[in-house]
Amino acid sequence: MEEYVGELWHKLVTRVADKQHADAAVSLNEISKTAAIYFRALGGDAGLNLSAAPPTRHGARRRWMQRLATSGERVELSWRDGETLRLPERIALFSERGLNRDLYLWLVALSAAKINDDLPWIIRNQTATLTTLERFPGLLPRYQQLVEAMLALRPAPADLPKEEAAQESAIRQALQQPGSIHVLPPSKKPFHPVPLWTHPTPPVSAPSKVSASDGAPERDESDNSNTAKSRRKHAAERTDMPDGKDGFLMLFRAESLFSWTEYIKVNRPQDEEDDLESAAQAAEDMDSMTVARDNETSAAKLRFDLDLPPAGEDDAPLDEGISLPEWDYKKQIMQPDYCRLQELVTQQAGHCELPTQLRRTAKRLRSQFQALAPTRTWLKGQQDGEEIDLDAWVRQEADLLSGTHPDNRGVYRAQVNQQRDLACLLLADLSLSTDAYASDHARVIDVIRDSLFLFSEALSATGDRFAMYGFSSLKRGNVRFNRLKSFDERYDSAARGRIAAIKPGYYTRMGAAIRHATTLLAAQPQRQRLLLLLTDGKPNDVDRYEGRYGIEDTRMALHEARQQGLRPFCVTIDSEANEYLPHLFGTGGFAVIKKPEDLPKELPLLYAQMTR
Amino acid sequence: MENLPFYQPHGSEIELFERAWRNRLPLLIKGPTGCGKTRFVAHMAAKLGLPLHTVACHDDLTAADLVGRHLIVDGQTEWSDGPLTRAVREGGICYLDEVVEARKDTTVVLHPLADDRRILPIDRTGEQLAAPPSFMLVVSYNPGYQNFLKGMKPSTRQRFISLAFDFPPAEQEEAILIGETSIDAMSAKRLVSIANAFRALRDHDLEEVASTRLLVYAATLMKDGCDPTIACRAALVETLTDDPETAVALREVIDATFGR
Repeated sequence: MEEYVGELWHKLVTRVADKQHADAAVSLNEISKTAAIYFRALGGDAGLNLSAAPPTRHGARRRWMQRLATSGERVELSWRDGETLRLPERIALFSERGLNRDLYLWLVALSAAKINDDLPWIIRNQTATLTTLERFPGLLPRYQQLVEAMLALRPAPADLPKEEAAQESAIRQALQQPGSIHVLPPSKKPFHPVPLWTHPTPPVSAPSKVSASDGAPERDESDNSNTAKSRRKHAAERTDMPDGKDGFLMLFRAESLFSWTEYIKVNRPQDEEDDLESAAQAAEDMDSMTVARDNETSAAKLRFDLDLPPAGEDDAPLDEGISLPEWDYKKQIMQPDYCRLQELVTQQAGHCELPTQLRRTAKRLRSQFQALAPTRTWLKGQQDGEEIDLDAWVRQEADLLSGTHPDNRGVYRAQVNQQRDLACLLLADLSLSTDAYASDHARVIDVIRDSLFLFSEALSATGDRFAMYGFSSLKRGNVRFNRLKSFDERYDSAARGRIAAIKPGYYTRMGAAIRHATTLLAAQPQRQRLLLLLTDGKPNDVDRYEGRYGIEDTRMALHEARQQGLRPFCVTIDSEANEYLPHLFGTGGFAVIKKPEDLPKELPLLYAQMTR
Repeated sequence: MENLPFYQPHGSEIELFERAWRNRLPLLIKGPTGCGKTRFVAHMAAKLGLPLHTVACHDDLTAADLVGRHLIVDGQTEWSDGPLTRAVREGGICYLDEVVEARKDTTVVLHPLADDRRILPIDRTGEQLAAPPSFMLVVSYNPGYQNFLKGMKPSTRQRFISLAFDFPPAEQEEAILIGETSIDAMSAKRLVSIANAFRALRDHDLEEVASTRLLVYAATLMKDGCDPTIACRAALVETLTDDPETAVALREVIDATFGR
């Protein structure tokens, strides 16, 4: 009972205290796609993701009701780092929905402006505002509206103590006349947050300072323990909010002694749902959370549960491996001989026939695809064509002479020519995630297996040259490239056996696999070469190969493939693929299969469409 | 010279075209759609005082469509010249627009014309035409949207000197809009700024980006008294995308430029 009343009381005061307008709220989900395109159109970095910003403590004066309700002490502000553009999850600041939406778009526009991140917060935001308004003069009336609505919500300087009042007046002036304030007057109490501007001290801050923790500098594994610790400490320090850089100092706050603003270990590369969830829950109450991305800790942890199989157990390496480079987007350099790729061939695979349940579909596909096989024929009796169809003409003349009504068939012959000069390499992602269930009765790997079967059936009917490989990886030293069928092998029962034997591997180091596939495919003499990638998710590996690093390396590998005259195309069953695939493959360069169980049927059809 | 089609040069392309023509070299122009390839050729043909034969290439274009064919007229066969043959006979410019759209075996008939032989053998009539000095072969294509199975044979490509076109820099594009539609400078500047914002979305959100031609359309509507926002939506947003959410974002960019 006590609890119940307490809850009611909490709800009541929170509602009174929170000056938010729930009816007019605009959520990030509603406008995320628009916002992302808007951001890129306004000149923002196309490689950034969009995500909700976690609320952060602002430490400014609250109304007594808010204090009573312990609400209003955190605020969601936007900021941008090397990988993400963070926007508030929901904006309900104004009573008018249109204004809330405008505020979103304004924040996006502001983040798209290219401003030196090292400038002090107050100058940075004013400069960004000026730049944006100059480039997009149409935003001015809306900006003014926003400022006006915004100022009405801010505490009046007259009601504040002297120092805070000076600070508040400066912010007000900076909003109204951007560019006019050069220094923020110091005050003991932090200022009231400015939702119209970016975050003063983003939790994962400016690139210049973050390089140590976020950039995950390349380090040999030997020097790990000490540096990892010190870096971690550094990361924890970084999360402490105000760093005094902007002219105000907030050195001590009693609550923070007991608060949780410390390093919490959330080991992202691991697929342990429970851990993540509980950590996330604990993290929810914190101001900010740091995820260390140092190679050493995570790799060491993972060595437990994912050990390599003893050599020679199931896959026989075909040689000692191939060295491949990898792209580091932060340094903008190609790291030569960075990955080692092994071409493997499964040993346990026997010979095998096409599984019975696929036979009917396969038969239909074969007959459909035979129509794509090269033909060159003359069509007679055409209305238009290169040559005169003498037979038709004689018949027509004879009909005329004999007085019968001539049928108005054409008297020309036209040549129909379908030449296919085409090689296709299919690269299937065999990472651990394919072990997941795609539907009630099939795992992703089973769907991929069926797709490979039907794809091969269809392609062998067309006579196009094709090869099939699978890949997975376990850090850069061990990229596994399973040969299912090379260009020179026939599609026979042995190849089918190898397809039947595919099983989930480790992780997805896409860049290296694509680079090797490019080499193989580029060696083919055909003029059209298609590199078909079949996947279920983003590039990732247990080391730093994840997030933007992985994406950018993959993008670079694809760029190289295009330069070699290959055409990459991606077929995916990842429903979130629309967020990153356009960046990698371009708008027309990929297809998302909504229902994974449709993949076996869809894949050959996609191929037919693409090459018709 | 009064009827010279308007063309705003953005490099040394006019000079290069003239040199190519004087030295009897065939020319390939590549660039995105609506960046002024066709206009450039029309301008040059008028400037040099040459007849221009344009062929818009397509999938079904055969060699016979270019060279000519026998037609049946009154019970007799009669030879009819195709546009290529006509251009060779007249000594004009033959311009093959979007040449990669044509089948590759079609473009092979260009080979003897496009190297130093400069002849056009017509198999069906047994004729062999020698091109006069004023004849020039110009082809163009858009490297952006190439069908996977299309593309030029390297042996065809290697017979041309090539000019790459792209959308002009902002000031020149503004000058083009003003030259084409005599729109005011401020509106031209804003239109170009919108176009450049959209061009940042190439390969990511938009398959095709705003061409100079579309900007001219928008400017024409505006010059006619159309509200800028409406003009841009009609000429740019709805032309470039069918996806409602993308369209919303593009409209926001327009509002950000022209105000709402």
